[in-house]
Amino acid sequence: MKINKEELIKKLKELSSSGYNYLVKITAVDYIDHLEVIYFIRNMQNKKEENVRLDLKNGESLPTVIEIYKAADYYERELSEMFGIAIEGREVKRLLLEKWDGLEAPLRKSFQWGSDYKSG
Amino acid sequence: MLTKINVGPIHPSTHGVLRLVVTLDGDTIVDVEPHIGFLHRGVEKLAENRMYMQSESYMEKIDYVAPMAYSDLYVAAVEEATGIHPNERAKYVRLILLEFQRIASHLLWLGTFCNDLGLMFTMFTWTLKDRDLILNLLQDVTGSRMFYVNMRLGGVSIDLPPNFEEHANKLLDYLEKRFKEYEAFLEKNPVFIERTKGVGVLKREDAIALGVTGPVLRASGVNFDVRRDYTYYAYEKLHFIPQIQTKGDSFARYKVRMQEMKESIKLIRSALKLIPEGDALGMPIKLISPPVKEKEVIVRRELPRGEGMIFMVTDKQRPYRLSLRTPAFINLSALKQIAKGASYADLFSILGSLDLVMADVDK
Amino acid sequence: MLISSVEELIFEVIAIFILIVFFDYTFGWLERKAIAKAQLRHGPTYLGKFGVLQNLADILKLLTKENVIPKNADKLVFSTVPLLLLALFIFLVYLLPFPNSLGIDISIGLLAIFVLLSFSPLLIFLTGAASGNKFSLISAQRSVIMSLAYEVPLILSVAAVALYTGSFNIANIVYSQARIPFIVLMPIGFFVFFIAMLAELERPPFDLREADSELIAGWLVDVGAPYYAMALFVDYTRMFLGSLLISLLFLGGWLGPYLPGLIWLLIKVFVVAFVIVIIRATTVRMRLDRLMRFGWFWLLPLAVLNIIFTFILFVK
Repeated sequence: MKINKEELIKKLKELSSSGYNYLVKITAVDYIDHLEVIYFIRNMQNKKEENVRLDLKNGESLPTVIEIYKAADYYERELSEMFGIAIEGREVKRLLLEKWDGLEAPLRKSFQWGSDYKSG
Repeated sequence: MLTKINVGPIHPSTHGVLRLVVTLDGDTIVDVEPHIGFLHRGVEKLAENRMYMQSESYMEKIDYVAPMAYSDLYVAAVEEATGIHPNERAKYVRLILLEFQRIASHLLWLGTFCNDLGLMFTMFTWTLKDRDLILNLLQDVTGSRMFYVNMRLGGVSIDLPPNFEEHANKLLDYLEKRFKEYEAFLEKNPVFIERTKGVGVLKREDAIALGVTGPVLRASGVNFDVRRDYTYYAYEKLHFIPQIQTKGDSFARYKVRMQEMKESIKLIRSALKLIPEGDALGMPIKLISPPVKEKEVIVRRELPRGEGMIFMVTDKQRPYRLSLRTPAFINLSALKQIAKGASYADLFSILGSLDLVMADVDK
Repeated sequence: MLISSVEELIFEVIAIFILIVFFDYTFGWLERKAIAKAQLRHGPTYLGKFGVLQNLADILKLLTKENVIPKNADKLVFSTVPLLLLALFIFLVYLLPFPNSLGIDISIGLLAIFVLLSFSPLLIFLTGAASGNKFSLISAQRSVIMSLAYEVPLILSVAAVALYTGSFNIANIVYSQARIPFIVLMPIGFFVFFIAMLAELERPPFDLREADSELIAGWLVDVGAPYYAMALFVDYTRMFLGSLLISLLFLGGWLGPYLPGLIWLLIKVFVVAFVIVIIRATTVRMRLDRLMRFGWFWLLPLAVLNIIFTFILFVK
């Protein structure tokens, strides 16, 4: 289902209290002029899965969902460093990459292959 | 007085390069912070620049203990996208090979788990010998012992050799005997029981909230297994039963994996009886433009370590975005909560029972 | 056996030293082979007929390497205390009586040995604490804590033996086993002594000090190569001492038909050492608090019971 960024927290709270309490993954796709962030959540009782999508313009930040799903910690950290999305509401540290400040976020389409290589 | 200990990236006990910064108060753990990323190779980005079947080899190298499971996951995603599905015999062949891969992966886990507990290498050499026999069998089928790259669109690259059934049955009889010995050795050993029972308890609500998966989830009492709930291949016909334990401690996680190995033996035996005749070969690997129909694809498989999921946005010749969900990544994030309050020597029992492979964590 | 001249003294010193080196070397080979066979491997096979020269090659390699002392270490303590440890254990072997007029006969031999033996945790702790890194300190702490739990049952079970014999002279203890060895008379005492000795020797399952998968090599993390060779020597000499004590105090020492006494003693020592090696290949390491509980709540009451039984049944 497609929602706006403002309804994200409300919608996820609604879903998690109605039984969708297992977060499978938070992922994003780069469509060059905007990003699409997708939350996969699952109901452990009747095994149904639901994906919540929202569009994010370049440079916008994403609210954190860690109070609703504790599993979101690592996923948000990975998302923020791979796509350059700022997470509002808590401080996220880098997870997989090191010494990457000032360089382009790797999973965006505008990333130049080899731009992280400092010659000399 | 809090001391910080660095359980450094090179360590005889962490199954790869994992750095843990452990804050201790005397002998009790207050906080564990994992630093990962030593083995990050950017598989998701690489796959965007390769044609579909070129990435299969990358996917195998994500988990070097059970490579066939990942290549099966990826090829299944491409099959969903193109609509070329495997026929009946190919489904059975894939199931047999995957279940053998699962036994081999759990055997390696058992050896390294006992290593962590202090049984220096005795159990490790025995289980590695059994895993070696399985790898020999897989070599007869696919041609290599590791990194098989034998999954193709719609089937496998080489069909089962003619005398596969009797070799497999002999190997399964031998493995059943060995599992009885391992159980008798470990479960009657009071020191083993004392080091694993009650250690690292993960309750059911916490397990679901933290998003853990695989044997870790099933050991906490959650009845979920991809092979039954989002069933694929022939698991339904073979009456597959997931193994559940309720305690949620290290011993429960060990028990779940032992039971899974025995369940795999049963599955392989019944699959060998029911396998239909036919041709299990898939399309050749040098496909430049497979006929892609779907825009977005979601595939789930039960890997030996947990549930793996691929979400793929397709393009004509190569994936536009390949998003990979690996089980060890999210299992590691649960370590912080499980290890709080445990004693330092228990940390390795917990870490071993989570079954981490660092390449899985770092993609 | 009184020493009547300087030549005899020198002869004894050299003879026992050769015995120690012989046992250490053979035991090192035996351990590597036995553990390998239990783990489906071969062990050393290349040098010498069955790999017997492998240990010699390893020791020579270690002795020729550079000795590195870490910057944070206390140089004086770090360099001298391991030597003191080695000297202590070799000296303790000299205090034991050997047959065929080797060894010294002291009327308070048993007391002397156990008093000096309790120095060893202190010296090990000093080495660990002086090497200046956290892992060595933790492992040194663990060894002191463990010795707290196991020294008392050790000495109590030996006290039962001394009570029965009525003397602290080890030669007398061996002779009073002429008809029945003490393992039959006091099985509980033997059990307690064996386990407490395993803990004293820090062999698996009590090898917390060198918990391989947890603290890498524990107190040996930072020692340089020549000191590592010396640490191995200390370990094996301690094994020799422990097996000797078990054989002398409970298995009848050098008494036995047909063969000369020294051969009997060596056979018994090797059997005990072999059992200890098998225990190493098949046990899981215990956690520290369970170890302490085992020592205080099981071994200590058993040792006290043992003394009571010995007193009631035999010393009346």
